[in-house]
Amino acid sequence: MNPGWLLCIAATGMVVGMFSAFRAPRLWLLTSLTGAIAALASAIWILKTGARWDWQSSVAIGGEALHLQLDALSAFFLALLAVLGGVGSLYQRGYWTDKTHPRSAPSGRAWWNAMLLNMGFVLLVANGLHFLIAWELFTVCAYFLITRERQHREVRQAGWLYLAASHAGTLCLFAFFAWLAARTGSWELGPMRDRTELAPLFWLALFGFGLKAGMFPLHIWLPSAHANAPSHVSAILSGVAIKMGIYGLVRFSSWMPVPDAAGWTVATLGVVSAVLGVAFALGQHDLKRLLAYHSVENIGIILIGLGFAMVATAHGNAAWGQLALAGGLLHVWNHGLFKALLFLGAGSVLHTTGTREMSRFGGLWRAMPWTASLFTLGAVAISGLPPLNGFVSEWLVFLGLFDAVSARGPAAWTAVPAAVLLGVTGALALACFVKVCGVVFLGLPRSKVAEQAHECGWTMRLPMLVLGAACVAIGLAPVLFWPAIASASSAWQPLWTDSAPPAPMQTLGAFHITIAALAMLAAIGLWLRVKRNGLSRAVTWDCGYAVPTPRMQYTAGSFAGIITGWFSWILKPKRHQHPVKENFPAHASYEEHTPETVLEHVVEPTGSVVMRISTAVRRLQHGRLQAYILYLLIGLAALALLALMGGAK
Amino acid sequence: MTSALNLFIGLAMGVNLVALASSRLPSIIRAAALQGMVLGLLPLLLEEKFHWLVAVVAVGTVAVKGFVIPGLLRRALRVANIDREMQPLLGFIPSLLIGAGATIGAVALGGALPLRPEHAHSLLVPGAFATVVCGFLLLMGRTKAITQVCGYLILENGIYLFGLLLINTTPLIVEAGILLDLTVAVFVIGIIVDRIQREFDTLDTTKLTSLHE
Repeated sequence: MNPGWLLCIAATGMVVGMFSAFRAPRLWLLTSLTGAIAALASAIWILKTGARWDWQSSVAIGGEALHLQLDALSAFFLALLAVLGGVGSLYQRGYWTDKTHPRSAPSGRAWWNAMLLNMGFVLLVANGLHFLIAWELFTVCAYFLITRERQHREVRQAGWLYLAASHAGTLCLFAFFAWLAARTGSWELGPMRDRTELAPLFWLALFGFGLKAGMFPLHIWLPSAHANAPSHVSAILSGVAIKMGIYGLVRFSSWMPVPDAAGWTVATLGVVSAVLGVAFALGQHDLKRLLAYHSVENIGIILIGLGFAMVATAHGNAAWGQLALAGGLLHVWNHGLFKALLFLGAGSVLHTTGTREMSRFGGLWRAMPWTASLFTLGAVAISGLPPLNGFVSEWLVFLGLFDAVSARGPAAWTAVPAAVLLGVTGALALACFVKVCGVVFLGLPRSKVAEQAHECGWTMRLPMLVLGAACVAIGLAPVLFWPAIASASSAWQPLWTDSAPPAPMQTLGAFHITIAALAMLAAIGLWLRVKRNGLSRAVTWDCGYAVPTPRMQYTAGSFAGIITGWFSWILKPKRHQHPVKENFPAHASYEEHTPETVLEHVVEPTGSVVMRISTAVRRLQHGRLQAYILYLLIGLAALALLALMGGAK
Repeated sequence: MTSALNLFIGLAMGVNLVALASSRLPSIIRAAALQGMVLGLLPLLLEEKFHWLVAVVAVGTVAVKGFVIPGLLRRALRVANIDREMQPLLGFIPSLLIGAGATIGAVALGGALPLRPEHAHSLLVPGAFATVVCGFLLLMGRTKAITQVCGYLILENGIYLFGLLLINTTPLIVEAGILLDLTVAVFVIGIIVDRIQREFDTLDTTKLTSLHE
């Protein structure tokens, strides 16, 4: 068995699954899981040995010979794809069943496998043309998965926005690869760092891949697409699909020369994405939309790591760059794991209540203890709190930034504000998830649907357990995962061959285990105490109201009100209110929602200007033959004039 | 020889203005036919010595442009029972003024262009320009399908005049080919005219705009 055979099994599993999706859902699940496990095994193989699998075929697609390769960098992303693909397949078995969605479930399974397969190809191909083909196929598959419920207008709009935005990005990638092929004379991709004239092409790649990654301000498609897709699709979109953009950036910043300003730009965009992503998340009242904005935030954290690594390579390959890159790469895994966990948790809530509106939830912890505990575990991880995995990767980025400061190079000036803002991001994320867990799982049910909620089945609980376990494992024993990060970062920058885990990593593991043990002890102590003293229920302090109702609880909007107020310059929340005026108020209401600012204030006005111009131009096409002949004559005269002027020169 | 040539081309340029000024369909068909016949005779004047192939082309051109095509158009007119009045988009007086202006401009342009000495004193190039512009004016300024065909014929006559500049280098078979194309085109348009008339009860091309998408 070598990686080639394992990948072959994985691809076969996916293809067989694609065809059995319609008639034999059990065979589909079996083959998909086999495929995912085989892909994971090949990725682990490569990451462990640090070797590189290369396969040159004589089969030509589009006139180019198929060339596949799996190095540590590809394997790093492939491992994430395999894990999330596997758990997502299992989850949708319970979540999007043939019984509840007879029309969309079978084709959804087929599109699911097609998307996993194409994402795998994006990671494996070493040819620009094939990269574009796989990229486009994966984009289109994702569109069909997002629009599973296209009977709803909102879903169609989200799908359309996703498709339009993705194609704007793909257009840039077309330009990027075509230009690259024109300059180098071949579509083959590979290391070409010494050809400095290719550096400006990086900006095209940054736009194309950045748009897919959901980097601010190119994230416009992301919130609505993630919110309106089925939850297992949101999980894979947020966990893997947007990481394909990160993969592109990591891959091409390692193979190609980059302009001097690239590292600073990426780091700045990362900081902006992180802070504004979490600010927008705080303003949301739709559970999945909120999680989607957290993807923007976490992409920002990854970009900070990548950006500073690029700065380090531009300044003599300083060692702190490796720490920053390691943090960024590990955050790719971590964000994939805990964000998928959170989306699957949100999916379980949505599954039982049928709504994503947070103001209708409350007190769900009693009804669904598994989902609530696992969601809270994910929330702790995403907020970057020890002892879970989010802290490990953010801390590695912090270490890189601190070392950059103590190295007193030119990077120090930017590393200080970056570190501060990264800290702010973590604090805001914590506030946001306190809000989510408090409003959704604690308190009393605010609506009928929340009262009638029930726990989800095992096919949905098991994937969440797997993801939760992975989060805990990376958090408690980060040293075990260091070899993978080390081989991926040495694939990015061959000069960084130091594979021994940095000393702080060992300390961190011990620290996390201590914290976890203390937390367990505290929990056991509490449990014993409760058992000894018994449990008594009492009413919450109700400010003197005689008849408190569950509707008198803090809402999501009121919880985050102060923080969203700080960011109202960019969030521009829309408020409709009928305030209380008399002593005995008859009617009062308050409503608030945070729109997508970039979409509403930048993209849509630009779009309407373009639309107005094109409508004006379109008036030229009215069907009157006589005027068409006039256009022809004017065109001819202009050409003649041009030729005459050219001749005069 | 040049003076006879110029006389004929001058006649053709005059016919342009007649076509622009005519307000009834039969007269515009007649003008196009007359211009076609006048121009058809030109190859005989251009050739230094008589060649039977040139004679065949001249006779053919005169026959097709002077009799066959007008005959087809008159037949379409009769069969489709079209109203013989024209509704111009561009009035007759403005058309005439623009046509006259274009003729003067064409003569001026012919003087300004660096022509070969044997063409410098002939009206070939100005005549060609003027005829092309008048053909375009008819195409743009009139609405009926029949006038479109006539405008197209006059436009083709202008191109034919340009072609005469190259008579020594262009194989005659090409000329014959162009002529055949034209006949087929007119034939097809004749059929279309008939169909449009039957379907929509009008031949006003401005009413075809609803088909533009």
